[in-house]
Amino acid sequence: MDFLLSFQLSAPEIILAVAGLVLLMVAAFAGNKSAQTVTYLAIASLVAAGAVVVELFTNDALSQGADAWSGLYRMDAFGNFTKLLIYLATIGCLIVTPKFFDAKGEYRPEYPVLMIFGAVGMGIMVSAVDLMTLYIGLELSSLSSYVLASYSRSDERSAEAGLKYFVLGALASGILLYGMSLVYGFTGSTSYLGIRAALADGMGTGALFGVVFVLAGLAFKIAAVPFHMWTPDVYEGAPTPVTAFFATAPKVAAIAITMRIALDPFGAQSDAWQQIIIFAALASIVVGALGAIGQENIKRLLAYSSINNVGFILVGLAAATEAGAAAMLVYLAIYVAMSLGSFVAVLMLRDKDGNQVENISDIAGLSRSHGLLALCLAIMMLSLAGIPPLFGFWGKFVVFQAAVQADMIILAALGIAASVIGAFYYLKIVKIMYFDDPADVVEAKGETSRWVVLLVTTIFVSPLGYLLTPWLGDLAARAASAMFFVI
Amino acid sequence: MFDPLEYLPILIFMFIALGISVLFVFLPMGVSRLTGVHEPTTEKNSEYECGFPAFEDPRSPFDVRFYLVAISFILFDLEAAFLFPWAVSLEYTGWAGWTAMMVFLGILAIGLAYEWKMGALNWE
Amino acid sequence: MIQTLAFYLFALLVIASGVFTITARNPVHSVLWLIMAFFNAAGLMVLVGAEFIAMLLVIVYVGAVAVLFLFVVMMLNIDFAEMRAGFIKNFPLGIAIALVLLAELVLGIGAYKAGALELGVADGSAAPMIGESNITSLGTLLYSKYIFLFEAAGIILLVAMIGAIVLTLEKSAADVRGQQDIGKQNRRRPEDATEMQNPEVGKGVEL
Repeated sequence: MDFLLSFQLSAPEIILAVAGLVLLMVAAFAGNKSAQTVTYLAIASLVAAGAVVVELFTNDALSQGADAWSGLYRMDAFGNFTKLLIYLATIGCLIVTPKFFDAKGEYRPEYPVLMIFGAVGMGIMVSAVDLMTLYIGLELSSLSSYVLASYSRSDERSAEAGLKYFVLGALASGILLYGMSLVYGFTGSTSYLGIRAALADGMGTGALFGVVFVLAGLAFKIAAVPFHMWTPDVYEGAPTPVTAFFATAPKVAAIAITMRIALDPFGAQSDAWQQIIIFAALASIVVGALGAIGQENIKRLLAYSSINNVGFILVGLAAATEAGAAAMLVYLAIYVAMSLGSFVAVLMLRDKDGNQVENISDIAGLSRSHGLLALCLAIMMLSLAGIPPLFGFWGKFVVFQAAVQADMIILAALGIAASVIGAFYYLKIVKIMYFDDPADVVEAKGETSRWVVLLVTTIFVSPLGYLLTPWLGDLAARAASAMFFVI
Repeated sequence: MFDPLEYLPILIFMFIALGISVLFVFLPMGVSRLTGVHEPTTEKNSEYECGFPAFEDPRSPFDVRFYLVAISFILFDLEAAFLFPWAVSLEYTGWAGWTAMMVFLGILAIGLAYEWKMGALNWE
Repeated sequence: MIQTLAFYLFALLVIASGVFTITARNPVHSVLWLIMAFFNAAGLMVLVGAEFIAMLLVIVYVGAVAVLFLFVVMMLNIDFAEMRAGFIKNFPLGIAIALVLLAELVLGIGAYKAGALELGVADGSAAPMIGESNITSLGTLLYSKYIFLFEAAGIILLVAMIGAIVLTLEKSAADVRGQQDIGKQNRRRPEDATEMQNPEVGKGVEL
């Protein structure tokens, strides 16, 4: 094994891990007053890791990707694309967090450190080309997430969210591990290459069971129906910045590994998993749309919205083509901006005592008291609904286009029909903000850092985002082709 | 190669130990039963607590700090478990294996320093 | 001969301890039975030649996990009567889940018979043995091929440690009260602590 090359290829993870260790020591010795400094340093290390990813992405000598650590880890365009999304989402979440916990005096330097280690885990996940690497990365990021979910110790709902997330996440890990052990048992290898070779000429019942269990475990992690039950409770209970994190970075990582595992090791046997993915996609779209209708709490509503969006993303996977994979990545990028923006907007809604406002009825008439905030939130909602001039429409369009190209016209038609149901509750929020009598509960005080994140994401999802489509489409196409390179 | 018969002495040892401990427990019981007077009544068998019936659960909840100690114990225990295969395979893994373990120990040493500094090892 | 005997002894004790674990009235006894089950499982592992796994079972499961269980059982102070009532109420659900698991088990065994289960490396040959025992082989793989995962596992342990401290460590009484800082006390001047006010007649003072 060439250590030097391995270090170079996995440099983003190593930089972040070392930064995490150093910041942990800073946290221990400088105490709680270093929380702000540690946050800035964490953001800086994420930027540094991102710069290395960009360097590896644009390095012509490595444009085909390369294996590191004796075939456990693979640096390729797919991993780089998703890693950039993950780092950007994590940076966004870190920027908006401190103010939230400062109000209760709960912000501690461990928070950014846990985020960093979570990002390390997610980076390992998306670069994994071996089931063992995948599992280790998944556990690292999940473990950080469990702690973050119950971070707010004065809040019982946060503890409940953490416990639920932990128990169900551990169950999902168990299911996933069982599936992996079956796959290993029936193919004789844990590496994607070996599994692919073993499954090249047909798949036995045993391996099929393995694939089903692996996909069930991953469906849990991406919160696809029928394994979505935990999402509303966890999203509602966890502190809002943590919810914003859950809805973005870990979701990107989980969807990325689902893509890679479906298209790479099981790619030759796509018939085996396509039906499952089609079912999960349609069920997620419908359940996400119907479940959101009766919600009173805006965080629960956004949880159902994320289930709904996962459904649309899975439509691209159901196509099992390169175009489908590229479409998924484009959708993911837009989805990250939309959910980050929505959660930051929710984070800025506070009453005059500084408590978070989470009830939908309380934002009635927001447009009159806080015009810009209402406008941003409305743009996010309309974009999530997929209303044409906004960027969210483009994501849905490319995904359905890929499905139609793969001769899945019925799936596309059902998906589009269901997205109309989904549009209902997004429009309801816009209506409440603009046309209802003001409730005058919200007393939003703008912090510059939050406004920056909110405005950047808003501009990205606004029609101006279409200027980026050639660039984004090109990157996504490169990333998707990296997965089909092995064929 | 592996031969389970290597473990025969310890199996025999376990049997003897089990036999002797069973003997120590049950022999006095049997002897006292045979030689003493054995006339149980309901009053004799009922629990006695300062003259009034028990009104609360005798077990009080543990302090959560025990949990922290137990977690630390598990983590360092796992670390020790990793040391066994490392020690016997060092001749095959060489310097790379040695460095790997040192980095691993370094990571956990940072954890220990953090724990120490945060006062998780203090009882009061 | 003696191996067969030992196998049946350990297997019987594992199953019996397992049954007692779930039927014991007192959760503390359940944990103790669980420890018994772990011990005997370790014995079974020795019989199949997986000595390192046997050692891990004793060191990690018996030594640490079971102790943690014991702490948790004692910490939670479960109301047994209520738990028992819940058990009877959820009994049909439990049976249903058990049946599903049984069906999966049967299917799994069916699949095991149907497919070709080949352990070893991808090309079908058995993995080469390094050194004289499987601990050596395991160590050789773990500290050369799987170095990256080994270090990542170290970070997982570290995160578990941070998590436990972040979530459970109470601020000690000394931190909350604050240590006496004599210098600070001496530096304190009357102007810092008091404020002169001259309120008009009939008006109060804003506090």
